[in-house]
Amino acid sequence: MNHDLVLANLNLYAVLPNLEELVRHDEEMALLTRDWDICIQFSVLRGPSAFVEFKNGTCTVGRGKHSNPTVKLFFLTPGHMNKMFDGKSQPVPLKGFTKLGFLAKEFSKLTDRMEYYLKPTEDSLSNPDFVFLNTLMTMHTAGRAVSELALGDPVGKHVVQGMMDGSLMMKVLPEGPAITINFKNGRASMQKGESANPMACMFLKNMEIANSLLNQKLDAFSAIAGGDVMIRGQTPMLDAMDLILDRIPHYLDA
Amino acid sequence: MKTYTYTESQKLFQRATKVIPCGIYGHLSPAPLIPADAYPFYVSKALGSRFWDVDGNEFIDYMCAYGPMVMGYNYKPVDDAAARQYAQANCVTSPGPVMVELAEKLVDVVSIADWAFFAKNGNDVTTYASMVARKATGRKKMVLIKGGYHGVAPWAQTFGHHGILEEDGQNTIRIPWNDFEAFKKVVDQHPNDIAGFMATPYHHPTFVDNEMPAPGYWEKVETLCKAKGIVLIVDDIRCGFRLDMRGSHEYFGFKPDLVCFCKAIGNGYPISALVGTDALKNDAAKVFYTGSYWFSAAPMAAALATLNEMEAINGPKVMTEFGEKLKKGLVDVAANHGYDLKVTGHPAMPYLRITDDPTLMLHQNWCAECTKRGAFFSSHHNWFVSTAHTREDLDRTLEIADDAFLAIKNNNE
Ligand SMILES: Cc1ncc(COP(=O)(O)O)c(C=O)c1O
Repeated sequence: MNHDLVLANLNLYAVLPNLEELVRHDEEMALLTRDWDICIQFSVLRGPSAFVEFKNGTCTVGRGKHSNPTVKLFFLTPGHMNKMFDGKSQPVPLKGFTKLGFLAKEFSKLTDRMEYYLKPTEDSLSNPDFVFLNTLMTMHTAGRAVSELALGDPVGKHVVQGMMDGSLMMKVLPEGPAITINFKNGRASMQKGESANPMACMFLKNMEIANSLLNQKLDAFSAIAGGDVMIRGQTPMLDAMDLILDRIPHYLDA
Repeated sequence: MKTYTYTESQKLFQRATKVIPCGIYGHLSPAPLIPADAYPFYVSKALGSRFWDVDGNEFIDYMCAYGPMVMGYNYKPVDDAAARQYAQANCVTSPGPVMVELAEKLVDVVSIADWAFFAKNGNDVTTYASMVARKATGRKKMVLIKGGYHGVAPWAQTFGHHGILEEDGQNTIRIPWNDFEAFKKVVDQHPNDIAGFMATPYHHPTFVDNEMPAPGYWEKVETLCKAKGIVLIVDDIRCGFRLDMRGSHEYFGFKPDLVCFCKAIGNGYPISALVGTDALKNDAAKVFYTGSYWFSAAPMAAALATLNEMEAINGPKVMTEFGEKLKKGLVDVAANHGYDLKVTGHPAMPYLRITDDPTLMLHQNWCAECTKRGAFFSSHHNWFVSTAHTREDLDRTLEIADDAFLAIKNNNE
């Protein structure tokens, strides 16, 4: 897989699903989308596709093609779509021309807000609500990115092949968010929430520590030794996951 | 039983993180010690089989500095030999006569050795061995075992780890342990391109049970290497002088071309050695390889004294006997509490695992509880015993193990 395709997969399958949590947790965005009844399909020619559906005040991001989307946005190449995620290109609309105004105005408010939450600044991090949502979204993005990188990134692919099967849980203490990443036959998939029987666990002492770690401001080895991050179980799985996660900046921050 | 706390260790560690990458790096990093807060990070003194941390807690040490300590910490005959040499000359413009004496000693003691070459770390000599093999054969590829560890040089690490390029592993082929057919296949696939086969005498990876060679495995490997002109290299860095003074290949009954030694050779003084057969001596001479401290005389004097002392008391036998008793004692204690403790590898370097929990969490809890009571047990790496471990150490260790099992039971309830 080339760089653009991996990035397109990350954009569609790891980043875009954050809209679900955004609508769930950000009051302003909940209000904005409360009455939306629309389904937007994103498709790359001979490439990945995903849809975003708003109905009854909830947002669902799905993989693949929706049976009856309201709007169809088409991209000639993965690179074309990645540029749209950077705000530097326009898709080719194939259906739903009447909704183009909506996309430009309303939907982009939502995506701008998502970007706001995904790109923390010193200022925004002084707000605990922001810290919560940034942590949650970054954690989910990371978890979903593991499965994409395990499929498409050369290092990720190599590392995941050597991993044992089983699930790995990451949780923010005391009652913060959690994700579980399941590994099986050299593939990975993320689910939100805890796992009943994880092979390995990583507990992050509190939201602040979780936020620093997930935003790569904290050295994990020091944090583990100092007790801010606690690991247990088949920890080679955590080492391997860490190697995969370290590939994210090769794509998303580039 | 009283359990330890580690206030001073933690304080020092916090200072360390400001000036040292990740505080304590490499194999002494506390990160794989689970949970880290059950373990001491810094030592203040050591004697015999024990050490004391900066909080004043005393430990019976089952890691032996991850191998280098073999006759006990501050072992006087070795320290005296080193001190005498320090007083005379250590790192100087020319090497000391002790270099020749130590080489003669290794040639005398190690069964296949016709010559010896000295460096500092294990990785120095595994890398040198691979270079000698390449020089001797004019071939490129090294065959290693999956999960085998030979040091941190890029050729010996695996792709995916930081700072390692895919190209670094281009000439390294990894095959499963004990799988002679896999080796044969690789040799067939790369006719005239395999320079060397390097493996430890038995398979002692971390986090999984250690495995002895299958019957006939080494014999078949040796025969194929001879037939195809492949240099057979034993990485005896961890096992060396713990299984057999003549080299661990004698313990398993085969004859390699090169053997790498490091950990137990100098009882903690920094020295490693590559020994080899006459057939490879000229090739070894041609490979340019050196280091600032490789000729320091005091570690050589320490190594000479260590080998003499170990021979005199039959060190491997002493360690094996202690290891057998330790194994039996711990397995029995575990069984009394209803746990299945599995011990694999050689008794002088046992790898332990409570099999009742595949996640290892139970085993990690038990090792942590033992450590907090004064028996330093790591949960992910094989342990090491030394000739300094005593009957008293054994009895105390078993008491600690028993109390730790009670503690994990109580914690679970
Ligand atoms: C089997 C084996 N080979 C090589 C090495 C590398 O030795 P060093 O860390 O001294 O370079 C080690 C170290 O643990 C080892 O156990």
